[in-house]
Amino acid sequence: MSPDAAVDPTPRPGDFDTYWSAVLKELGELPAAVAAEKIPLRSNEFSTTYGLRFTSIGPYRLFAYLSVPVGEGPFPTLIYLARYASTVEVIPQGDADEKRGRFAVLSLAARGQRNADHPWTAPFPGLLTEGIDDPRGYVFRGIVADCCRAVDVALSLPEVDESRLALLGANDLPLLTAALRPAASHAIATPDLFHRALERAAHTQAYPLEELNDYLRLFPDRRSKVAATLAYFDPIFFAPKVRATTLLWGEEPECESLSRALAGPSQLRPSEKSRYKDGLFQEEWLSRGLGFEDAILPAHWRD
Amino acid sequence: MAQPTPTVRPDDFDSFWDDILDAVESLPLNATMERLPLRSSPEVDVYEVHYDSLDGVRIAGWYCLPVRRDGPLPALLQLPGYLQDPPIPKAVARDGYAAFSVAPRGKVRSRTQFDPGYPGLLTHNITDRNTYTYRGFYIDAVRAFDFLRNRPEVRPDRIGLTGSSQGGGLAIAVAGLRGKDVRAASAGAPYLCGFMDAIRLTRTYPYQEIGDYLRTFPDSAPAVRATLGYFDGICFGPRISCPIIVNLGLRDNICPPETGYSLFDAIGSPDKKLYPYDGCGHDAGRADHDSVVCAFFAKHLKGEEGESDVA
Repeated sequence: MSPDAAVDPTPRPGDFDTYWSAVLKELGELPAAVAAEKIPLRSNEFSTTYGLRFTSIGPYRLFAYLSVPVGEGPFPTLIYLARYASTVEVIPQGDADEKRGRFAVLSLAARGQRNADHPWTAPFPGLLTEGIDDPRGYVFRGIVADCCRAVDVALSLPEVDESRLALLGANDLPLLTAALRPAASHAIATPDLFHRALERAAHTQAYPLEELNDYLRLFPDRRSKVAATLAYFDPIFFAPKVRATTLLWGEEPECESLSRALAGPSQLRPSEKSRYKDGLFQEEWLSRGLGFEDAILPAHWRD
Repeated sequence: MAQPTPTVRPDDFDSFWDDILDAVESLPLNATMERLPLRSSPEVDVYEVHYDSLDGVRIAGWYCLPVRRDGPLPALLQLPGYLQDPPIPKAVARDGYAAFSVAPRGKVRSRTQFDPGYPGLLTHNITDRNTYTYRGFYIDAVRAFDFLRNRPEVRPDRIGLTGSSQGGGLAIAVAGLRGKDVRAASAGAPYLCGFMDAIRLTRTYPYQEIGDYLRTFPDSAPAVRATLGYFDGICFGPRISCPIIVNLGLRDNICPPETGYSLFDAIGSPDKKLYPYDGCGHDAGRADHDSVVCAFFAKHLKGEEGESDVA
């Protein structure tokens, strides 16, 4: 029995490991076939930016921005995994651009997101329930594979310092990816998409969880199927394999059991409802974790 | 925090925009509405809307109406952030408003005819004011306002504008372009205001797109500056006459607060109030400010007087 089974109402699927092993096997049998093209417009005096194309399961051709610091590598690397939105930027909005002179940065466009939206464009809202009746056809089976593929691609680059690799994202995906691709040294996640998803959806009318409410309102007889699919994606079941040092954004008690279940060192931190305060903490946590005494901050965050 | 801005309002700013407004006046909206059973609930009917805008571009939006309603409704136009996929404004409708959330050109569901991408949208045709992205983008937002104004279930004299970041900048532009027809506006952390100040004050995306462009095409700087003068929220300020509130985060790393102060100084409405939030970034104090916004619109659109600190 999982240590959290008594707390979490969603049971761990009996074939959980088999399900994900099959995904990784499928991914492993498919060449990534990486192609890189320099993007002069997004390159500058301290970094060079490339557009990468590579293949994930499906097969599906993905995209990522890769920014590499000027100078001698390898460099500590930040991988920004798919956020719940259509757009992907070179570096997240608001981050000091100068960070690209210190870190290699890979920003993934998973299937359906911009630049990876052919032949399929992800709907927003709608992505969370795309194919949700069947775990084998659920779109996030592919998106999680896309995240793993992004790690594979990063690790194949000589510019990447394999010992300092951070997975970042404002959802659960860094946890799932860190479990399936344990090379990551650090992870920052906000488990607000899949952790106890149905339970939390019942107490909110805010999107994206409202997508689940919409779906079950229209198809109430599919609740058990939806619950069964979501169980394959709850980070609580990935946590015992997450060895990365993890910063978990979330509230107690909702995320306490998840934080405790993580195999590696972790810190659960509630938001201060200030993007400045939260952002400052995260930048300093990440910089220290990757071996730097100082964080590179945007101008308005400096004292 | 306030400081002189190099933003210069072009002498022909008003005629530039009045000519565009005149041109689109004769274009029918050709609006269509389809109720979406998947997104509707017992409290709120949700519709997907499409309408025609400048250059023949078809624009999408989400329209939400409370199921239970007696007579015409006050309405809120919700304007999206730069990277934001426009949300379905069910919560606003539950609060008793007709609520419209627009996806201007280039965003999901409005990108089949125009799609410069992200990043890229901010600098698309930036050296030519007559084809710059935001010429059409602003008009798409104006036409969203017109959509609401033409709805039979909406009180045309009780329409408000709200948004944050780019949504704040769009609220400023629409308030300037639709003038006295706008009953009230709320602009948070307004983007698209003080472009040239912003790229000096910060080095973060999305303003960094302009920095990238000028680094790559340094000779274009005069043309870029000239174009942006026609699209800068600070230049729309004098045209704004409705009650308006502006909230800023004094640690905003995306839309520098200095530009928000310059904007606020330029707003012509005598009924304006600034809410600066210390210790806040691009959220601009949202956790505390949401209740201010609710009370502000309740007062100006519903005629309710509350206890909250409203303009």
